[in-house]
Amino acid sequence: MLILAPPPPAAETVTSRVRVRAARQLPPRVAPLREPSAAFQVRLASLVLGGLFLAVAGQLTRLAVKSDAMVIVAAAIEQAAESHSRPDIVDRNGRLLATDVEVHSLYADPSRIIDRDEAIEKLATVLPDLDEGEMRKALSDRNKHFAWVRRGLTPKMAQAVHDLGLPGFAFRRELRRAYPLGALAGHMLGRVDADNKGVAGIERYIDDNVGIDDVLTARPTERPPVRLSIEIGAQAGLEAELADAMTRYKAVSAAAVIMDVRSGEIAASASLPRMEPARAADVTDPTKKDRLQTGTYELGSIFKMMTIAAALDSKQVTPETVVDVRTPLMAGRYEIKDLHGAGRPLTVTEIFLHSSNVGSGMLALAGGTSAQQEFLARAGLTTPMATQIGPVTPPVTPARWDRTETITISYGHGIAVAPLQFAAAAGALVNGGTAVAPTYLARRPADPIPPATQVISSETSAAMRTIMRRNVTDAQGTGKRADVPGFDVGGKTGTADIAGPRGYRQGGVISSFLAAFPMSNPRYVALVLLFEPQATAESGGKRLAGLTAAPVAGRIISRIGPLLDR
Amino acid sequence: MHTLTFATSFLALSSAFLLYGLTYDTRLIDQRVQMAERAAERARSEIAVLRAERAHLSRPDRIEPLARAMGMRPTLASQFTNTNLADADLAR
Repeated sequence: MLILAPPPPAAETVTSRVRVRAARQLPPRVAPLREPSAAFQVRLASLVLGGLFLAVAGQLTRLAVKSDAMVIVAAAIEQAAESHSRPDIVDRNGRLLATDVEVHSLYADPSRIIDRDEAIEKLATVLPDLDEGEMRKALSDRNKHFAWVRRGLTPKMAQAVHDLGLPGFAFRRELRRAYPLGALAGHMLGRVDADNKGVAGIERYIDDNVGIDDVLTARPTERPPVRLSIEIGAQAGLEAELADAMTRYKAVSAAAVIMDVRSGEIAASASLPRMEPARAADVTDPTKKDRLQTGTYELGSIFKMMTIAAALDSKQVTPETVVDVRTPLMAGRYEIKDLHGAGRPLTVTEIFLHSSNVGSGMLALAGGTSAQQEFLARAGLTTPMATQIGPVTPPVTPARWDRTETITISYGHGIAVAPLQFAAAAGALVNGGTAVAPTYLARRPADPIPPATQVISSETSAAMRTIMRRNVTDAQGTGKRADVPGFDVGGKTGTADIAGPRGYRQGGVISSFLAAFPMSNPRYVALVLLFEPQATAESGGKRLAGLTAAPVAGRIISRIGPLLDR
Repeated sequence: MHTLTFATSFLALSSAFLLYGLTYDTRLIDQRVQMAERAAERARSEIAVLRAERAHLSRPDRIEPLARAMGMRPTLASQFTNTNLADADLAR
């Protein structure tokens, strides 16, 4: 509108009069010094104004596109409090194991607090466990504008604090991880910190591999849930049976894992005493560690499965080959003999059924030390392993691996592995001979099972299945008490002495049973471990695995077998 | 010339009023959108809490004693039958 306005008429008359006078006095040849015309003035003004408008428009566009100013504001808040929203964790059927819920977190602005001591005193009436000294220190710096007082208050407590009407205190809505099933599958789930970041277990895996979202408010993520391979019913059944076994045999702890031998999916896995993800104190409690994955143990006689599979796979012997086990074996200074010698030569199958130390020692010696090392490496028992919930404690192998070690390793002493790693290796012995990689995540039906390396031939695997089944069905088998009608269970017992700082401890044993079912075409392996079970009336006054771990394995399979996918 | 001036000033004035009205409408709509977003967020948060509560109430630790009190128990192997045997029975 300004541009269109005509120039003021007064200016025109003045300039034209001056121009007329000048024309009279000067000769016409010399060009007069002319003032800028009205049209030119208008054009100049519009140009300047247009330029200004363009500058304003340009600045607006720049702000809209880059929004530098907004970023600065956001960064200031972020520094004050940043949290994370995490995807839910569900079981293989979609039942909830972990989710984010909204909580109220109390913070203070020290610069606005009028009477610090009074405020802290009042707060302590509502939050009785408030550390007053710590609080005084946190609120002493009046230049600060933000300090957490307490995060994750329940709505009721938040209301009580709000009712105190303290100036300088306010709430932020935050997300907090909730584990509605308490300690169920706690070791697997892991833990998050105060900022809702995963620090252990599947929670840590989610941070590293699935992704979490940075949030400034209590906004739940839109990421799809993470589906685990376990089934809540089976997991609860397993934990209940292990708890029952602990009281039945007065064991210090108990652990078990049930794993699909085709896909490596863990159907249920528990280590008792359980760890509750929501309790920070549980994480550092050494009695509550995950004994399946974060501890290595000399597993004893269940290791004979490996020795016999290695001997059969080398084709040096068949299940019917007779071995004279009557004379004790000398391993260095020690004499290796059988607890209850049969007093006659045994076949390879019978060495398994009688769990003969001499027999397995002789089979290992016949193959040789390097063949034993090579076989255990092929079975994945001497190299470190990792799962989604973290690295498995690496196997402990002897620094010197000679004749003596070859004999002791043949029956499971002198080598310590994590139980989960052993269960995976045992899976390969029964599934047709292919390596199994344990996973805690559910495999989508569309995903193909990745091709695995062959550990033993399918014929050896078939022979192992027959021997393992006989160990449960045979009158002289050590696994009789693991039998469950209809489930076609097979397996091997192990009663291992526990190594202490000075040799093996008197009295303490790890009693274990490695089962597979259904033996005609195994789908699952189950490894059950009882740590330091006592000789009770229930076990006939003995601590042998055949009387402790084997019946527990039977009870577990009969309880949760019907819940598992066939 | 005058006609043009009047026409353009009329246009300018009317567009100013139009813009004024539009701005208000936009703000109103924006407010409504924000309200709806807040309501959705609250609903989402409530859903999360309710889902967690449902999972907590149906946790096996709680259901098992209740089920046992009602006389239920885990499935027994004897409650299963071999379908092949059943076929054989029918054929006989």
